[in-house]
Amino acid sequence: MDRTERSSDPLAGADDRIVAGRAADGDTAAFGTLVRRFAPTMRAYAARILPGTLEVDDVVQDAFITAWAQLPDLDDPGRVRGWLLRITSRKAIDRLRASRPHADVTEIDAPAPARESPSRRAEARAGVAALGEALGRLPAQQRECWVLRELGGYSYDDIAQELDLSVSTVRGQLARARKHILVEMEQWR
Amino acid sequence: MNEHDIPPLPALGLEPQDLDGHSIEELSDYLDANRTPRDPAIEESAGCRIALDALERLRGISAQLLEADAAAATPVEDGWVHRVLSGIALDARAGRRIPILDDAGGDLGVTEGAVRGVVRAAERDVPGALVGRCVLEGDVMSPGAPITVKVEVSVAYGAPIPDLVTRLRDAISTRLRAHTELNVVGIDVLVQDLRRPNSPTEETR
Repeated sequence: MDRTERSSDPLAGADDRIVAGRAADGDTAAFGTLVRRFAPTMRAYAARILPGTLEVDDVVQDAFITAWAQLPDLDDPGRVRGWLLRITSRKAIDRLRASRPHADVTEIDAPAPARESPSRRAEARAGVAALGEALGRLPAQQRECWVLRELGGYSYDDIAQELDLSVSTVRGQLARARKHILVEMEQWR
Repeated sequence: MNEHDIPPLPALGLEPQDLDGHSIEELSDYLDANRTPRDPAIEESAGCRIALDALERLRGISAQLLEADAAAATPVEDGWVHRVLSGIALDARAGRRIPILDDAGGDLGVTEGAVRGVVRAAERDVPGALVGRCVLEGDVMSPGAPITVKVEVSVAYGAPIPDLVTRLRDAISTRLRAHTELNVVGIDVLVQDLRRPNSPTEETR
C-alpha cells in the first residue's frame, strides 16, 4: 500500500503501528487515516463473503465503528490490518445469518453466471481474475468457508464456530471449494 | 501473473483414484503443515505432486486476490470517510481521571485522554516527529505519584534521530509541566517508524 509522504498529512506516510496506536489513544484524524488505508481491502473482503449485495459499505462502516470502540484493547497496533479484516468478516457473517433462514444449511448450487464479454474473458486470463470468477461460481457455503480460510486466515475451528458448522463439514466444504476452483482455473492455463 | 512455460504434465486429477488413494483434504492439511514431516507416500505419487503444485499455485494467487480487488475498486470517497468518522463516539477515550489539586476545595480533574493529547501536541514543536501510541505508566489517579510517559514516534526520513528524540522529549516535558500537575519522572521515546518523503514504501504488516 502506498505510504507516500505528503507534507500536509504525515499520518498518510506513517506505518500501521503509529497510526493505529494514535487512533487507539483517541486521535480521530489517525482513525480517518486507517479508514482510508484499509476500507478498500475491507470492502473487497466483505464483497467476497457477501457477493452481489448492496450491504458491503454498511458492513465496512459497522466494522470501523466497532474497531474504534475496541482499538484500545488491540495488543499490537502493528497488526491492525488483520484485526480489521477479522472484524469485517464477523460483521459480514452477521448479515449472512440475518439474511437467510437458519435451516438453510443444505447446499444449493449457484446459478450459472451470465455470459462474459470477450474483453472480460481476456482479462480473466490473469490468474487472480480467474480465481475471482471461480469463487463467484461457488455455492454459498463453500465460498464462505474458502474466503474465511484463504483470505481471512481463519482456522478450521474458527470457521466452524463462526458459521455454526461442524469442523468436519468445514473440512469437507473447503476440499470441495478447492476442487471446484482448481478445476475451473485449470481451464485458463 | 507469469505464464508458466513448463512441459506438459499429466492431467490434474482431484479424486482419490487420481491421487493414489489420497484425498484433497489430506493434501491440503499436508500443505498447511509445510509438507513436514515429509510423507513419502504423498511425495512419491505423481498425481499427488501435481495436485500439490496446483494447490500451492492457488494459494499464491489467493494471497493477491484482496489487494487486486481493492485496487480495481473505486477509491474511497471523502464523504464516506466523514460519515464513518461522524458515527464514532468522540468521548470514548477519556481513560483514567487525573485529579487536579484545588486550594478552594473544588473537585477538579483532567482525563488521561486529554493528557495524551498534550503529549501528541508536542510534535508541533519538532518538525518531522509524529507521535504514535502514548502510555502513562504509574498511578495517575494519586496526586504526586511518579509517572513515566512512554511514546512511540515516527520520524521523517533524513531527520537526525538523536537530536529529534531529545527535542521531542523536552517538548513533551515542557508541555506536561505547563498543563498538568503530573510528577513525570521519565519520558521514554521509541522511534518505531521512518517515513520516507515523496516515495512510496511498502506497507508494514
